This record gives sequence, structure tokens and C-alpha cells, in this order.
Amino acid sequence: MSGLVNKGRAMTTKKIEHSSEKVAQIHRELHSHLPPEPALRVKALESLLVEKGMVDPGAIDAWVQLYSEDIGPKRGAQMVAKAWCDAAFKERLLSDGAAAAVEMGFAGWGSGHLKAVANGPQVHNMVVCTLCSCYPLAILGIPPTWYKTAAYRARAVREPRAVLTEFGVELAEEVQVRVWDSTAELRYLVIPERPAGTDDWSEDQLAAIVSRNAMIGTERDLAPTSQGGN
Amino acid sequence: MDGVHDLGGRQGYGPIDVNEPEEAFHEAWEGRVLGMVRSMSRPEDWSIDWFRHCRELIDAVDYLSRPYYDSWLQTYGAMLVNSGVATVQELADGKDRGAASTLPPALAEAQVPDAAAAPVLFNRPLSDPPAFQPGDKVRAKRHRHSGHTRLPQYVCGVAGAIHACHGGHVFPDAMSAGEDRGETLYTVAFQIGDLWGDVERPDDIVYLDLWESYLEPL
Repeated sequence: MSGLVNKGRAMTTKKIEHSSEKVAQIHRELHSHLPPEPALRVKALESLLVEKGMVDPGAIDAWVQLYSEDIGPKRGAQMVAKAWCDAAFKERLLSDGAAAAVEMGFAGWGSGHLKAVANGPQVHNMVVCTLCSCYPLAILGIPPTWYKTAAYRARAVREPRAVLTEFGVELAEEVQVRVWDSTAELRYLVIPERPAGTDDWSEDQLAAIVSRNAMIGTERDLAPTSQGGN
Repeated sequence: MDGVHDLGGRQGYGPIDVNEPEEAFHEAWEGRVLGMVRSMSRPEDWSIDWFRHCRELIDAVDYLSRPYYDSWLQTYGAMLVNSGVATVQELADGKDRGAASTLPPALAEAQVPDAAAAPVLFNRPLSDPPAFQPGDKVRAKRHRHSGHTRLPQYVCGVAGAIHACHGGHVFPDAMSAGEDRGETLYTVAFQIGDLWGDVERPDDIVYLDLWESYLEPL
């Protein structure tokens, strides 16, 4: 383990065997023996866990419903809209995102170390997880598939401007790009800029124009469209 | 480990599907995997870092070609087998051949709303003060090891500056091997022009969250 882990220190006694070689071998066996289709593999796992009493099928249904309907980017959009309308809340969101999530009633998976980063006339923020798929689930819901693909994970930290162009984002000459690679348990939320011409809009109207991609940072200029306006 | 999962800066993966539909799950089985993972009973010594390491250990071709939630299923399958909770044969046909589970109980349906509203905290108190302060120049170490780490290859050996200090956070390299201990976590800023030679704007910044033992003073 080179010099990163102090080998002289006693490991916590656990029955689990943390052997990379053994797990890699199990992966190869699973590859050879599990059904070919993902849906069939999932069905087999669910049947097995139910038979073993290790999962409540009703709980699975409840999670699916929660993430399909209740926990999604509308939450993040409400936080952004509130930050646009309430400078004190924006300050709290930027200084302690976890507390701001509690304040909104949005605490949950990935909100415990929430870090909001604000776009400005000369700053554009963009979030990635190059090592896996870290994402503020409690605030933005299930990440889009593209966020979890090799292409996005590989390219966001090397050619963020080319990625942004693919998403249709045009950056003014003076804008600096800041990419946040979620390598720890901090979870990043981009606060986009409030569009001009929305001064008299309500928070609900504003929230309706804040897109998921704008809060990941793959969209920049939010348009005051009929969705939000009167 | 220097696995195929460590994707930052790798080339050859093509364009991004920017027109993907917005719904949470595109196939019904994807949601089943997520729901199972969130509510199944499990050995007490599993951790998010052990999960991440087991996912990294998937065969490289499978890692890059299988759908995302399929890789979760594969990972939990391997963890169940490794912990002696299930066999490969049981996972293959879904038929229980073992004794009744002695694991902690599964999450019940009625408990899901509370579980969904409970953040998991990874900060850990430390007695030692941080070695670095915001503004300090640091270099990411080149040391690599074959266990789990959250130090991506693409910053190894590159100089950056401490942007923020977050106090003690669970150290993944140790946690993935069963040891829950904190180490100071920093956000470190790297000029993109220091990471790659052919960038459009060298003064763009890439921030990473890195633990103290990943860094050396400069």
C-alpha cells in the first residue's frame, strides 16, 4: 500500500476479507455464470434477497417512487431560486450547503457535505466525478446517464470547453472555467446566474427555469421563457 | 489502484449523448437495483469505500461496456459472495440454498422516507492541526498502490494550491480496508495548463478534494 496507509497501525478487527484478488476472481465467476441480460440478473438478485429475507420488495418500490417523483432537480431549482431572491439565504447556501439543505427540508443522500459554487459574469463552474459517479442525490435526484459515462468523466477535466460546446454552451471571452472533480464526499451544486428581465418573478416562476444541467454546469444561460414568466 | 475507472483525461471515449431523456430511470430494472442497494440488509463492515473498490475491480472490459446500474449489481453480487452471504450459483438463478440470514434486518418500506432524509456524515474529529493552509503550494504525490484510493492518476506529480481545508474526513484508502479513521481533507486547485499540454485556456482551474497524505509541500 506504499506510504499512504500507516501499516504499523492495527486495523479494526473485521470478519470481512478485503482482498482485491479475491473480489476480482469473484467478478470473473459472476461474469461467466450470471444471466446475459441485465434485467434477468436483477430479477435473480431480487428473488434471492427476498427469499433470504434480506430485502423488503415494498421498500424497493418506495425508493423507486421517491427518486422518480419526489427527489429530483426541482429541489435544487428551488434552492437556486431562493438564493436569487434572498441574499442572506445565498450566503448560507455558499457557506454551509448542508445546513441550507436542512433548512429547505431537502437533507438526504449526499447533502451532508453539500458545497454550492456560484457562476458569475467571469466564472463558469462545472461538476464531474472522474473516479465514479458522485452527485448530490438529495438535491438533484438520480444523475443523468451521460454524467456517469466514460466520455464525460474523462473529458470534463481535460477539455471542459469542448464538452460545454457539445452541450451548446457559449462562453464569453472573459469567462474562466472551474471544474470540480468530486473525489471525496463533498457534493457540488452550481448556482447559475439569474437571467436578466426576471426582476418581478416569484421564486416558483424562477425555479421553473432552473434546469438540472445548469446545476451540474453543462448549461449556462437560462432563458426567461414562458415556463416561468406570466 | 491504477484501474480503468480512473478516467480523468483519458482519450478515445467519443462524444457525450446530450439529448438523453430526463426521467430518473430509463429501464425498470435500474430502479430495482437502486432500491435494493438502499434497503437490503448487509454485513456491518461494508462501507461506501469498500463498495467503490469492489466496483473498480470489475473486469476492465465489463466496467466500460456494461450499463451503470448493472455494474452496481455486479459489485453487490461480488460483495455478497465475498462476505459469504450468497454464492455465485444463488446469484445466477435467484434460488436460496443457504441458511436464513443472520444479518441486521432489511429496511422496511415504512422506514424509507426517514432513511431518504438522513444524510451520512463523513467528517471525523482530528487532534492534529492541518499541515497546510489555504494558499499553500503543494504537489500531489506520485505514490500509487493497488488498493482503493481517491487520488486520481492525472494529478499525480502535478503542483497545485490549497483552496480550502475541510478538517478530518474518513480516509478512503484505510476505510476500504476496514479502518474508519479521519485525515485532513483539502480542496486543491490545479491550473488546467499544468495538467495537460494542449488545453484551450491554461488558466482554467480543476479542483479536487484530496487528503493530506496524498500531498507534499512544495
